[in-house]
Amino acid sequence: MKLTRRQFSAGMAGAAGLAALGPAGKAFAARDDQLNILCWEGYNSDDVLGPFREANPGASVRAESGTSDPDMINKLRAGEVNVWDLINVNQPWARDQLYPENLIKPLSKERFMPYFDTMLPTFAEPYPLAFADDGNLIGMPQRYGPFSFVVNTDKISREMAEDEGWNLFLDAGMNDRYGVLTYDNWNIMHLCLTAGLDPFREMDDAGKAQFREAADKIFGGAKLLTDDLVAMNTALINGEIDAYFTGGTYTASPARYDGAMNVRAITPKSGPVDGKGGVVWIELTSAVNNPDPSKLAEDFLEFVQKPEICKAVAFAEGTYNPVSQMGSDAVMSQFDEEELDAIQWDSLEEEMARSLDYQVVASYADLNEIYNAAKRG
Amino acid sequence: MERLDRRLGFFSALPLAMLLAVAFLAPLLVIAVFSVMPQRVFSLFNAPDFSAYRVFFQQGYYGPLAWSLGMALVSTIVLFLISWPLAYGMAKVFGRFTLVLTVAVVMSLFVSENIRLFGWVLTLMKGGLVEGHFRALTGVGFESPLYNVPIIVFGLVYVYFPFMLFPLAQGIAMVPDDARQAAADLGASRWRVLWEIELPLAAPGIVVGCLLSFVLATGALAESKLLGGQSVIVIADEIETAFTYGQNWPLGSALSMVLILIIGALAIVAVTRIDLDTIMGRRR
Repeated sequence: MKLTRRQFSAGMAGAAGLAALGPAGKAFAARDDQLNILCWEGYNSDDVLGPFREANPGASVRAESGTSDPDMINKLRAGEVNVWDLINVNQPWARDQLYPENLIKPLSKERFMPYFDTMLPTFAEPYPLAFADDGNLIGMPQRYGPFSFVVNTDKISREMAEDEGWNLFLDAGMNDRYGVLTYDNWNIMHLCLTAGLDPFREMDDAGKAQFREAADKIFGGAKLLTDDLVAMNTALINGEIDAYFTGGTYTASPARYDGAMNVRAITPKSGPVDGKGGVVWIELTSAVNNPDPSKLAEDFLEFVQKPEICKAVAFAEGTYNPVSQMGSDAVMSQFDEEELDAIQWDSLEEEMARSLDYQVVASYADLNEIYNAAKRG
Repeated sequence: MERLDRRLGFFSALPLAMLLAVAFLAPLLVIAVFSVMPQRVFSLFNAPDFSAYRVFFQQGYYGPLAWSLGMALVSTIVLFLISWPLAYGMAKVFGRFTLVLTVAVVMSLFVSENIRLFGWVLTLMKGGLVEGHFRALTGVGFESPLYNVPIIVFGLVYVYFPFMLFPLAQGIAMVPDDARQAAADLGASRWRVLWEIELPLAAPGIVVGCLLSFVLATGALAESKLLGGQSVIVIADEIETAFTYGQNWPLGSALSMVLILIIGALAIVAVTRIDLDTIMGRRR
């Protein structure tokens, strides 16, 4: 068959027309058979999504993992509230940025409050940062973990690291022996603690000067900077470095689960804010304020409270983390000893007691400028 | 008749021109407008105050820019020096073996840049492939070459090698053998042939190769992050930080605009100096 140019053009035009019609047709589909989740890695794994898809045949369930909280929030700010149904970010973002800007909406208290009862003591009260100032429930906590710094216990003992706390990194003997994991929004908090400051209070000029000094010192003495926890753990295990600033069970657990038990997340025994020197992150999963909401959003939030799904979320690929639902025996029985060792279950409770809640840093914009100037060197 | 032709040309170019305007210029325009907005706003409907550009100077962002441009320049020079002999061989000497080389170099592009660079990290790091084996065999260890500026330049050279090699080989292929032989017959030395015949006639290939590698290396991020351990912060890194952790879209946009203007000016100057048709269309 010979195709003339005219026939070809007509065919192409027809194809283009059909392609243009496609998405328009889709807009009329019911949103209740769609669920789009924007999350940290884990919720997008087959172990979590697979059973939910089975329970909701015919629904199209999609999850995309972000690389940082602000990255995901940028998507909503750029107009993707129309796309996503659930967002999973660390606790202060939901309360201080997403909810006030109407990017997320309250959850049904009737449906979700009972789940707090079986959570670990920290969360059972229930957890205050899951609520907005107006009392609305704005997200459900699940994964969490203390986040301070990580050492190779063959080189630096756990006791010494816990006693020394942040001063460990200011010691001249540590020059060129540690890395900085550039999770920038975390490091700003931890640099405040290193400088003996309260990160959650408005910072005056003297405070900023102290912060600058600490930032210059930490970056000045660092052997490497990376935002890749695998690269950092590899350097730690191979002896390139003996510790890294900052990290926690989230970053140490993959190495520990691989058998490198000398990689250990440390929470300082003391610190400048109420005697505490560590920080804990807690993820909240919130319903996006989608103008065309899907009822599957709250269904999914309820689904991930099931014991076997809690376990799948805690031990998804990449990193391993404790979950707030471990207060219930049904959830605890899902974990074996090796897994509990990987997430440092033995010391988790005392580490939590020594940690501050991750809140929004009051002078973040100013400190971020100083931080980046120091990083630039 | 000629006028009609010209109009027809205009009309047939119109759809593509509009597509380009929407797909290519619109995002650039958004970045440009964001760059003059006040700090930390997320909407384009604010009174412009150009403060992000002031921050560029106040906060020393020219440092990362200089590092990016400097390392790109050095890597481009190194790339040219090591690619020239190989490209010469591919164009004039190797014959069928050229195909093997081409496939080998192109194959490396099938693997993600990050994975290839991480492979280098595992090779070069302390206790890695090189140092680990050396220490196991001799009992003597040494410091790894990672986490400094030379290794970043190495990474740039490694990653952008194909972008210099192929245009250069194409350029050298355009140098007529007759011209070289005539020069040699007239008594020109080997150096003089290189200087007065080969380099000028291969110039389009040289310009395209240098431009490609320089532009790509200026915007490169992974090399300094993975191999360099961010021992210097490059401008692409600062742009990413401003958009994400900084939550300062206008600053990120202003940094991008400065980079776009510098690279754009350079590209325009370079492209107007060569006739792209010569290198794309004709080959001896």
